[in-house]
Amino acid sequence: MFKKILIANRGEIAVRILRACRELGIKNVAVFSEVDRTAPHVRLADEAYCIGPAASRESYLRIDKLMDVARRTGCDALHPGYGFLAENPALPRACSDEGITFIGPSAEAMELMGSKTSGKQLARRAEVPTVPGIDEAIENPEEAQSLARSMGYPILLKAIAGGGGKGMRVVPTEAEFASAWRDAASEALNAFGDPRVFLEKYLIGPRHIEVQIFADAHGRVVSLGERECSIQRRHQKVVEEAPSPVVTPELRKKMGDAAVRLARAGGYTNAGTVEFLVDADLNFYFLEVNARLQVEHPVTEQVTGLDLVKLQIAIAAGHRLPFAWEAITPRGNAMEVRLYAEDPDNNFFPSPGKILSRHAPTGPGIRLDEGVYEGYTVPLEYDPLLSKLIAWGNSREETIARLRRALDEYTITGIRTNVSLFRRILTEPEFLHGEFHTKWLDELLARPKPPVTPPRPGTEEASVIAAALWHTARASSAANTNRTTSAEPSRWKSEGRHQQLDRTP
Amino acid sequence: MKLEVHLEGVSGAQTRVVELQREGERYQIILDGQPVNADAIEIAPNTISVILDGQSFVIHATPSLDGKLKLQCGPHEFSAEIIDPRVWRGRKQGALEAEGRQQIVAPMPGKVIRVLVVAGDSVEAGQGLIVVEAMKMQNEIKSPKNGKVERVLAKEGQSVNAGDVLAWIE
Repeated sequence: MFKKILIANRGEIAVRILRACRELGIKNVAVFSEVDRTAPHVRLADEAYCIGPAASRESYLRIDKLMDVARRTGCDALHPGYGFLAENPALPRACSDEGITFIGPSAEAMELMGSKTSGKQLARRAEVPTVPGIDEAIENPEEAQSLARSMGYPILLKAIAGGGGKGMRVVPTEAEFASAWRDAASEALNAFGDPRVFLEKYLIGPRHIEVQIFADAHGRVVSLGERECSIQRRHQKVVEEAPSPVVTPELRKKMGDAAVRLARAGGYTNAGTVEFLVDADLNFYFLEVNARLQVEHPVTEQVTGLDLVKLQIAIAAGHRLPFAWEAITPRGNAMEVRLYAEDPDNNFFPSPGKILSRHAPTGPGIRLDEGVYEGYTVPLEYDPLLSKLIAWGNSREETIARLRRALDEYTITGIRTNVSLFRRILTEPEFLHGEFHTKWLDELLARPKPPVTPPRPGTEEASVIAAALWHTARASSAANTNRTTSAEPSRWKSEGRHQQLDRTP
Repeated sequence: MKLEVHLEGVSGAQTRVVELQREGERYQIILDGQPVNADAIEIAPNTISVILDGQSFVIHATPSLDGKLKLQCGPHEFSAEIIDPRVWRGRKQGALEAEGRQQIVAPMPGKVIRVLVVAGDSVEAGQGLIVVEAMKMQNEIKSPKNGKVERVLAKEGQSVNAGDVLAWIE
């Protein structure tokens, strides 16, 4: 096992990795930028080193500085977390040049599977379904039509030279194919001077469901089940859960097998996530591979009982995966919400600043992975993720009830957070029934807000009383402090004066 | 001590008069002239527990830059303005009001994303004039005085440097 691990990250994920190191008895080294001196990961680490100014490209993205710290402190492994350099193949290369183990996949596997195009080619070779389509131009409309028929409607026609929706047509049925083809081709010709068109299957309201995989260096690859991540605001996941409300044990097996095939074909090791789009008929299509630990990994941990970070460290140290796929079935349900320092009433604008007070929820089935504390100033230079609130229970209903309860207990003052967004999502009937897709949240937010439920009687009176008490306490304590400072002179000062007076020259 | 509290929430605004009379460690609370059965304690800095007729409330108070107090009670938010007769009224406006013709300059490099006034508008001290976005943050530039907008030089979408003149207030 490793002696000392360098954590090349910040925020809640750096804290998460530090905790795993602590539990394994491995020494750990944190790095921080100039504005992160007071960040929690710096306080919790065994050793901490400043690696430069606030701008990421001068600190957290500097491989040379990371290697320098690793060398000076005698680290034998590095964990990249997520974001920053986590999916940059230059980091594992630099690590191997220094003789340090990179806790993650190899640079080659990262390159092969991490990019969208090469990942898609690999998926085709591994017989993992991709969104059906023909990437090259089809000259003959009859040939295109027979391809469309074999793919199944609806299909999408796209201009080869396309962009901005020009030369794009959704074809709902075969009857409309011929006219849609003519429209798309002539529009493409007018817009780009190139009439060539290709086609792919059009997915209606797809869900985003991803499979967590783990691969050791001895050829064993397992799937740890799926996460449902369809609740997204502008392509950014905000709520994740495991298992997905629509995935059956058969589908779970099929998706898990496909993800494992892909990982094997790519020579992948360590933790990875295979993302799929799933259509209304529960057909799944490969989207991309995330060659790292995911933000939403805790929901898988809660339903499998595994610690994925410790597992990552063990695999990087050469250990074998200690279980077979058959042993892993999700138990109960877990759900995570991502709390950001942003203002939902002002177009989700970032709201950095000082946290004046904070009360964290506790109790049954609640986990909080947090990168902040009371009195901490959230810097404006980085991702505004404050914490991840995770709930789990025996059923999806119990999990949602716990999450709602925990959100009511959770208060942060001084900065704005998006907690009201989750209060809304967690009461929407469609969400409660598990009926949503990747555009659902954007559509919900485009609708007018539901009328606010009036506060219970007495809330306004209690608030008025609280305001008056707050003001009175401040007004009288200000007076008190003035009095005490003038009433009690420093005993050091008076003793010094006495001695001066007593001294006879 | 008698305080006037102006409370604003989603359901509307109201002004209440609160009197706190110290009785040992606690306060006897009189709301709009009527004694109420209420027990209020600041249990942690800026966190106040109020038991009103047996109903338990927790209110989180956050002072905001405009001198108001933001109150959070569960999912409900209010903004409170407290008028204390013992405090000199003039201080409510914060800084001293500027005099004479004032030029409004960009405090930092950024992009003008909204112009809230046009030439000829009457403005009050503290009123927002122009919104400049910098470092992904929106900053509202406020009028330093009561007066009239003489000229607006800033245009929406325009990039500005620190010190660039955005408007004149007469």
